[in-house]
Amino acid sequence: MIRPPLSRTLRYRLVVLALGNAVLIGILASLLDEGASLARVFVGIGRHAGPVLIAAYGLSGVVFTGAIDLSMGSIIAVSGSVFGILVHEGTHPVVVLCATMTTAWALASLNGVAVVILRIPALIVTLAALAIHRGVALIVADLGLADFSGGIGVGVDYQWTGSATANVVLVGASLLALTFGALAKSPRLFLARGDSEDACRLQGVSPRSVILRAFFVHGFFLGLAALVTVSNLRTIEPARIAQGFELDVVGAVVLGGTSVFGGEGSYAGALLGGLFLHFLEQSLIYAGVSPYYRDVVSGLTILSVIGVDCWLHRRARRLEELR
Amino acid sequence: VKHSTLVILLAIELAVFAILERPDLDARGGLSGYLVDWLERVIEQTAPASIVAFGMTIIIATAGIDLSVGSMVAFVACVLGSFPASADFWWTAVPLGLVTGVALGAANGLLVARLDMPPIIATLGTMILFRGGCYILLGDVERAPFYDVPGYEELGSFAISGTAVLSLYCVGGFLFHRSRRRREILLIGGNRVAARYAGLRVERRLLEAYALVGVLAAVASLLYTGRNFSIQAGALAGFELQVIVAVVLGGTRVEGGAASLVGTFLGVLVVGVLEEGLRGAALWPGVELAFKISHLRYILLGVLLVAGVWLESRTRSRRERRP
Repeated sequence: MIRPPLSRTLRYRLVVLALGNAVLIGILASLLDEGASLARVFVGIGRHAGPVLIAAYGLSGVVFTGAIDLSMGSIIAVSGSVFGILVHEGTHPVVVLCATMTTAWALASLNGVAVVILRIPALIVTLAALAIHRGVALIVADLGLADFSGGIGVGVDYQWTGSATANVVLVGASLLALTFGALAKSPRLFLARGDSEDACRLQGVSPRSVILRAFFVHGFFLGLAALVTVSNLRTIEPARIAQGFELDVVGAVVLGGTSVFGGEGSYAGALLGGLFLHFLEQSLIYAGVSPYYRDVVSGLTILSVIGVDCWLHRRARRLEELR
Repeated sequence: VKHSTLVILLAIELAVFAILERPDLDARGGLSGYLVDWLERVIEQTAPASIVAFGMTIIIATAGIDLSVGSMVAFVACVLGSFPASADFWWTAVPLGLVTGVALGAANGLLVARLDMPPIIATLGTMILFRGGCYILLGDVERAPFYDVPGYEELGSFAISGTAVLSLYCVGGFLFHRSRRRREILLIGGNRVAARYAGLRVERRLLEAYALVGVLAAVASLLYTGRNFSIQAGALAGFELQVIVAVVLGGTRVEGGAASLVGTFLGVLVVGVLEEGLRGAALWPGVELAFKISHLRYILLGVLLVAGVWLESRTRSRRERRP
């Protein structure tokens, strides 16, 4: 078995994040009230951090290739509209869940197709998709429901997913992603494309089909993330659901050591990065910090971890550039 | 995109909206009066976006991007809004707002230039950070001290905002066009390594460019509050998208190395006319659709962005293929 090589930077990042997670869990344990147990925090992971973590696995593959997807929140909004309408019509649950997932999958793959066919940066395509799909979500809801006025009530029929199911989905997706990263050939192709398009082509691998494949895999994970998101809500508001979701996911992926220029990264990094942000938020909640400060703290964390990392490698990169 | 294409696009937009709106031309001073009225409204409405787009053009020309502009304008507005209304407002709040703007822009610049962070990650982080700052300053309250500041409503009038925009683009644009800075920035964006070998102070120029966006964001937030009179922490979401679409549509290359301020101004107008036109959609006589037409705004904005970049890259590759 050939494992993708982890650079020293990446190994350090994983160790730092693992330690950071351990420290945060320690802090959480000390903050808990009498009688409350750490188990409650862990049980909540699936519901609260599940969507971000699951989407982070998919996005990792995309970022490995040097592309990015900023439209995830809006895609989940479209999925949410579809979900809400189908629940409203009383469709069979299997159909509802399949349709929700397929919507997200199809739209994410469509991003990939657009990147490959139009040959313009993924940043631009998905920034546009961020706007387009938010509009699509609203229009779909308008067209699908006669009395749509901002929110679609879906009741509690799908709340059976609850914590337990969300956790099962999260663990399943994590195992799948880690196994995929360790054993499959695709992640190494993604990394190869991100590292050097020319080398990729010389090896007889079409860079464009690699990108397409990365978006396809991304769509699958995004579909799962959409399922976990929408099945935990009682009312779906297409205008507001999953707003800012992409920031959390990109934050988790990049915090995990994946380079935004592609060619370097790991699925374990996405897991550790996402968990770190989640535990950080939970500690702030348990410490009684006002919710207004949470964005600032998570923004500062992302900036400082990546900032220190970039600063440390600045000299080496500059020399490399001028060589 | 050629400037003539943008002008034609603008004309098409105005014609389509005029047909849909069916204005009573005689009551509104004939066709010319109607058009002047339109442009006045659009320039007034898009003044903040066009001010910031000037800086964004320069940033994108250096192969960077600034996703934090929306949060930045909102943060400065929140700083302004947290002052009590009095005649002293002009001597306390306004200078502090400008200083805040410079500081925020310089913070972005330091992250990008000194720490060598990828601009998209750095400004994604500060986007979350500054937005968090807004919530810390204002919480969920909506503040509106601007009504009671003597002379403040002048800032939102066409006289002031139009003068600000036109003088920025005419005087600032002319000076920038003639200056050595422009060529240095284009070289930094087109070929960073060559710029370093040529002995340009790359870090200094980048820092200046990001700080300039900060200043412009502060000015934009004066114009914004002068027009809207109230500010809440969640304001101006999606502002960065509007600005980036305008800049990219104007023919500035997202990979850096080519910029057009005239194009940016036309791009702002195209986006502005679209938004302004769709805002009045509820009053269109005889147009009945199953969904709210204003939702189309998101979709058209996204489509414009993709179309702009695609056309730009296509014309470029054709030009490069020519011997």
